[in-house]
Amino acid sequence: MSCENAQERISLLLDGRLPAAERENVLTHADACRECGSTLASLQGQRALLRKMAQVPVPEVVAARLSVLASHERERQLARVNIGERLRRTAANIDLVFENLMRPVALPVTGGLLSTLLLFGLMMPSLSFSHQNGGYDFSTAPQGSLVANPWDLGADDDARDFPIIFASPDQAKSDYVNIVNLTIDESGRVADWSIVRGQVTDEMKDIILFSHFVPATTFGVRTSGTIQVRQSLPPCKYTSCSATVRG
Amino acid sequence: MATSILDLSAPKTLDGAESDDLRLVESLRAGAAPAYEELLSRFQQPVYALALRLLDDPSESADVVQEVFLKVFRNIGAFRAQSSLKTWIYRITVNEAHNARRWFFRHRRREVELDSEPEEARNWKDVIPDGCISPFDAAFEREQHVMIEAALEKLSPIFREAVVLRDITDMSYEEIAEVLGVSLGTVKSRILRGREALRAELAGSLKDRPAPRLVPKTAE
Repeated sequence: MSCENAQERISLLLDGRLPAAERENVLTHADACRECGSTLASLQGQRALLRKMAQVPVPEVVAARLSVLASHERERQLARVNIGERLRRTAANIDLVFENLMRPVALPVTGGLLSTLLLFGLMMPSLSFSHQNGGYDFSTAPQGSLVANPWDLGADDDARDFPIIFASPDQAKSDYVNIVNLTIDESGRVADWSIVRGQVTDEMKDIILFSHFVPATTFGVRTSGTIQVRQSLPPCKYTSCSATVRG
Repeated sequence: MATSILDLSAPKTLDGAESDDLRLVESLRAGAAPAYEELLSRFQQPVYALALRLLDDPSESADVVQEVFLKVFRNIGAFRAQSSLKTWIYRITVNEAHNARRWFFRHRRREVELDSEPEEARNWKDVIPDGCISPFDAAFEREQHVMIEAALEKLSPIFREAVVLRDITDMSYEEIAEVLGVSLGTVKSRILRGREALRAELAGSLKDRPAPRLVPKTAE
């Protein structure tokens, strides 16, 4: 056997792939030929070294990643096999997505709601609302035109004879002794007053202090207005009254 | 002499292994938890070792191993048992390693590793000395491994795959033919040429090294 033939067969010899007769021939040649013997020996050593390299430990990180992967894939496989499992998995996914979506919002929303309630609870006593005052109310049309309501001081018949009226500031005022301009705020209270003529009588002071008016409105929105209180010479009969609130 | 290392044992009967494979595959299809554990315990180490020897990059090999098992789990339904489970998984590994190598050459060839010192990159547990073997043996073995890894890296990927599958993974010629999708004759040729090339590389690397200088010294 030539060296070339022997060297081609050494690899197969190492792997046990040669028939018995051929194997004997190669081994005999390797014993006799120094170069082929050396090749056989070096290939044996090389193979033994390579075998040792198979014992590589799997890093812990890789093993952990593979375990997680296997777990996920098993869940997936189960979902594919079983409809109930698939539904459960879908529900779990929806639940997870919903939780992830709501969790960041839940705390601020709850906090905002509670603080709003607390704030309104604290502010409620100090909030004032307009009081309805029955027959003393005055009202205006949206553009501030005059709407007259009867002046009624109550059940006291004597008081009805008191000659006091409410009028528009631009109406004629020659017949009256005491005239006072009242500024009515949005809530219908007297915010300010000024004497146009004469003096402020006690009756007028009562009106300033205790009367409540329907405020003027502009396009349905409450606004401040002016009203004039006129009084003829006392004492005389009360007359019916009218009022103007100018927006 | 030479006969002592020859693999003359009779070919193993595959019936037991095949039935094991089928049982494992059926359990995997049913989603049984122990089957997933068994698959990992049987194959994660050899697959990692194969990927590592084919790629010579631990992080790249870890990614390849993960990709391989992902494919195995997802395609287990398509496994028709025309080859053994081992061959099927190894074929996936070789293909994935091939893809990773191609991707590496396209994208990451010019990257420079910042952490070029492997000793520093290791976990502290890995650098604690092992009491089982002497430091000399450990150093010698590591040196040998480094030499072989360097020589393997210089081989053509075609020969490297054949040599690794035969000599490291210890697969038969028929299994290698199935894994690589080539004929038996091609496998024999690749193994022969691969071994020769590896031997030449190793011989060359030994020749290039400076001879150790041993200075005799009397013990005091």
